[in-house]
Amino acid sequence: MESTGKRNGLVQSLRNFDRRWVFLLIGLGTILPIIYPIGFGVSTTPPVQQLYDKIESLTPDDVVMLSFDFGPTTVPENGPMASAILRHCFTRGIKVVVIALYPIGGRALAVQALNEVAPEFPHLRYGIDFVNLGYKDGAQALMKQMGEDIHGVFPTDANGDPLSQLPLMQRVHNYKDISLVVSLATGVIGEWWANLINSQFGVPVAVGCTAVSAPKYYAYLNTGQMIGLLGGLKGASEYERLLLDGHPSVSAPYNDPTRFNAMKGMDVQTIDHSIIILFIVVGNVAYFLSRRRAARV
Amino acid sequence: MENIIGTWIAALLTLCIFSFLYRDNPFFRFAEALFAGVSLGYYVGQTADQTIKPNLVIPLMEDFVGNLDLIFAALIGLNLYTRYVPKVAWMARLSLAIYVGYYTGVNMVQKLHGEVLPQSGATMIDLVSTAGGQFDWGGFLNALVVFVGVLAVLVYFFFSLEHRGAVGKVSRLGVWYLMLGFGAAFGYTVMGRISLLIGRMNFLVNDWIGGLLRGYPS
Repeated sequence: MESTGKRNGLVQSLRNFDRRWVFLLIGLGTILPIIYPIGFGVSTTPPVQQLYDKIESLTPDDVVMLSFDFGPTTVPENGPMASAILRHCFTRGIKVVVIALYPIGGRALAVQALNEVAPEFPHLRYGIDFVNLGYKDGAQALMKQMGEDIHGVFPTDANGDPLSQLPLMQRVHNYKDISLVVSLATGVIGEWWANLINSQFGVPVAVGCTAVSAPKYYAYLNTGQMIGLLGGLKGASEYERLLLDGHPSVSAPYNDPTRFNAMKGMDVQTIDHSIIILFIVVGNVAYFLSRRRAARV
Repeated sequence: MENIIGTWIAALLTLCIFSFLYRDNPFFRFAEALFAGVSLGYYVGQTADQTIKPNLVIPLMEDFVGNLDLIFAALIGLNLYTRYVPKVAWMARLSLAIYVGYYTGVNMVQKLHGEVLPQSGATMIDLVSTAGGQFDWGGFLNALVVFVGVLAVLVYFFFSLEHRGAVGKVSRLGVWYLMLGFGAAFGYTVMGRISLLIGRMNFLVNDWIGGLLRGYPS
């Protein structure tokens, strides 16, 4: 009788649990692993491996178009992808054409990523090894137009210099001159690269998307409209792992304790997901116990 | 100095937004309104500087006659603003009609050529396949799951027949497939939202407080 009363009290207190305690626990579960990284291992999956292998197969004569189709709201997911892919291309000497199709901050984040990564490769020169064409409005229309003439869409680079003055752009005129497009996307723009540009122009496309939109991108991956996929922070951490295993020379920024990277982020994900799973289990137990009690009454 | 000021403003605005977790308050509403306003202003400035200036103004200034087609495009865009003048508001619909026509054309090809055909093709796969001369059980199960799932979900969305009997059972299976899909999407959504929290917390811990302790980078 006493134990039944105790159980009823427990169920009642769980049902009235103030959700702000959940927020506090998640907050602690986030902050502590940031301060004291755990270093859980990262296993890789085929969609990420395929993109890594594709870039490994390219030569310094190839050109990768890296499209910044995300804004500041998803930097924790897309930012590490951008840094890792730029490092991968730069360490292999592959030429990179950076563009931005996302209006709120795409260009600024492209500049930020280049400013972070390019100084690690002092032998690379702007205009010869990489260019930043900046942002243009009207994503879908200009993506199609670039199939005919990139110079018409981007008459100047992000600094306002005519493309004709940039040696790299003298040999890049349309998608035929691009070996791979990688879209780092927060929304639908990544889909357009797969279902519009890959389908109509045949250029290989890979997408690094936010976790929220990852499930729908698997459909394009399965049809072959994309050659690789980085899904959210997990995808970014896998790419970092592959990059560090394949090219240990780029490890310095990943060993810096003050800099964020996706592998560190996955420590937090593991802790926070454990807390969320625990609360889901406790919540369901409380629900079923209270339902049983209601049935008895 | 700008870096320190920027970091502090960003940190305080982040805390304003986080304060909503306790309860709604004026600090949260201020930060929310500021974010919306700054985003819009940034968008307008960015489009003017990166699209209108290099793709319209400069080409017209350099070669007006050679770029007369741009005048046509600019007029179509400007015409949208006639909607704010009641007497000629109808004119804006002409520009809208052009935009709708263009994007309908693009989307029809895109949806058919880029989605309907390849996605339909991807469901028409061989149930029986071999790998290294052996029957590929993994491939068979994968193909079977896709085949059954597509049919079951299509039946669920087929409303011309009452969902009873055999149709009801297949429809019920479709619901299970949908639930599995929603579960996967929800799991990814949780990961995405936690990632955003990690980004902000990392900023507060390493950039703001860490900067305070170590000294901010110049």
